[in-house]
Amino acid sequence: MESVQYATKTDLVSGNAIAELRGVTKRYGSVLAASDLDLAIEPGEFLSFLGPSGCGKTTALRMLAGFETPTEGQVLLDGEVVNDVDAHHRPVNMVFQQYALFPHMTVAQNIGYGLRQIRPRIPKEQINERVGKALATVRLAGFEDRRIWEMSGGQQQRVALARAIVNEPKLLLLDEPMAALDRKLRKEMQIELQDLQRELGITFVLVTHDQEEALSMSDRICIMRDGRIVQIGSPQELYDTPKSRYVADFVGTSNFFDGKVVGYQGDLVSVRLSDGTVVEARSLHQVADGQDACVSVRPEQMRLSREEGGLPVHVHNRIFLGEHTEYLVTHAILGEFLVLSPRQTEMNDGPFNAGESLTVSWDAGTALVLEQE
Amino acid sequence: MKQNKRNWLLLAPAGTWFLVMLIIPLSVVLIFSFGERAPSGGVVLALSLEQYANLPARWTAFKNTMTLAPIGTLAALLIAYPLAYFLAVKVNPKWKTILLVLVIVPFWTSILIRSYAWIFLLGGRGLPALLDWIGIEGVRLINTPFAVLVGIVYGYLPLMVFPIFVSLDRLDKRLLEAASDLGASRWNAFLQITLPLSIPGIATGCMLVFILLMGEFLIPALLGGGKVFFVGNALVDLFLQSRNWAFGSAVAVTLVVVMLITVTIYMRLIARLGASRDDVAIM
Repeated sequence: MESVQYATKTDLVSGNAIAELRGVTKRYGSVLAASDLDLAIEPGEFLSFLGPSGCGKTTALRMLAGFETPTEGQVLLDGEVVNDVDAHHRPVNMVFQQYALFPHMTVAQNIGYGLRQIRPRIPKEQINERVGKALATVRLAGFEDRRIWEMSGGQQQRVALARAIVNEPKLLLLDEPMAALDRKLRKEMQIELQDLQRELGITFVLVTHDQEEALSMSDRICIMRDGRIVQIGSPQELYDTPKSRYVADFVGTSNFFDGKVVGYQGDLVSVRLSDGTVVEARSLHQVADGQDACVSVRPEQMRLSREEGGLPVHVHNRIFLGEHTEYLVTHAILGEFLVLSPRQTEMNDGPFNAGESLTVSWDAGTALVLEQE
Repeated sequence: MKQNKRNWLLLAPAGTWFLVMLIIPLSVVLIFSFGERAPSGGVVLALSLEQYANLPARWTAFKNTMTLAPIGTLAALLIAYPLAYFLAVKVNPKWKTILLVLVIVPFWTSILIRSYAWIFLLGGRGLPALLDWIGIEGVRLINTPFAVLVGIVYGYLPLMVFPIFVSLDRLDKRLLEAASDLGASRWNAFLQITLPLSIPGIATGCMLVFILLMGEFLIPALLGGGKVFFVGNALVDLFLQSRNWAFGSAVAVTLVVVMLITVTIYMRLIARLGASRDDVAIM
């Protein structure tokens, strides 16, 4: 039987990982918050944990910070097991969700807090100098003596960032740092965070439930579900070769068709859909004849046409988006799905009007057979 | 204009109360304090400072009040803080409410009855008898400053616990995580974060207890047995027994002035402790 083997995990235990989770499980009583996490974080990378609330991403972050101890497995920093090392002894700093700035201290006192904990003491002038530098880095120079409540949300976030980076941590952890900001500010901060990360060369680990945020900033994304890591990869890998329907749905938008495998050749699999149509799709994992399969096609891979040859559909709705036009089309048996039609097609053939009968087709190589959940 | 009138209406009940129960009596006392004792008791209005010149006669009462009130406040603080900390931070949230109610349960019984219990406990057949039995002889507790101190700390402890509890309870626990994340040990995080942020509670508790202690008379009367008396006891004596209203008024006015001065100094100190904006709301 010919089959395709999917590379199950991104090469995990490379020698120079700055932080690692090895078989890490965390239970709260009978609740399983994180289950058998394996992950190696490379020096200087920007890694995101992405998933809905309760998927275990925050637990993973808190175990790296030292606020939680794994029930099983090991947390490593710089090659050393740190399971029993308290948060205040770890060379790791965190930007908290609501920033957790100290309200009774000035901006400078907040930022210098970590430096003031170091023994033997760092001379005051040196602390002031480093605080000033950190403030300049987050573009808040001159705000030293401000009180926290005098700062706007965006400014407070910069202070929280400065308070963490001033300690030059091995790992900077960011727990949904953008959640409290409005949309416009969030966009700005995303770019700034990326710039900052490149400038400082510090490894960033971000936790977010916002796929756009994860996609736009990360070198690698670790997608989580129900306490498990579902897939790790670069944003493009996750978009182009999602392993499961869950990932395909979480990263970008996709159309899914359920069917049964009726044959394969190389990595091209034939799947019979519920309406009887047989479509071809690429599979990245092993499949067997007669097996249930889910075919995923991205909206931009689909072509609308007035000619025969494809799934017969009706146009339900049309939304003009400039570069693309988004069509919601209906198939008698397969239901509704999304098609993103490029401007060129619109100019040549379109526009397609609501109610019009069309066909939808795609190149076999662009459709993917996904693992069933 | 109409709006203005309505505002005054809102203030009227409290204003009337304030005027009738505080301003007028206080004015009367102030006027009496410049008067002279009438032959049959009471007061003859005059304009003399004789009563104020007489104040040193009641020096002991002032001395007792001005030493035991601050010491009592401090003792209450030292006992209340760990308790409030335990209730706000350490205790399982399930038990919090029940334990908080337990703190105020003593208030369900009159302080008079509870003080009688202390008379027995500290009296000859109570604690001293027990000490005697284990070989420590001749300890006298009742009618000493210590007995009064025990009584006032016991009586006012809940008033200290509650404000401190509130300030610790609403302390954002993530601040402590942040401190730990930035390298602070638990003890340092307590000293640098928890303690400063609970100053509003400490300040409110101390102020409440201190002001009430300055006017205390029941506990010294019962547990001090006439040997350890406060200004409050002196006032009761002057107004009800000796019927020297003029002198009593002078003592009362002096007590009010001393209290105002102490509280003003205290507020200045607290403000200088770097009170943040949130603190002001509580004071």
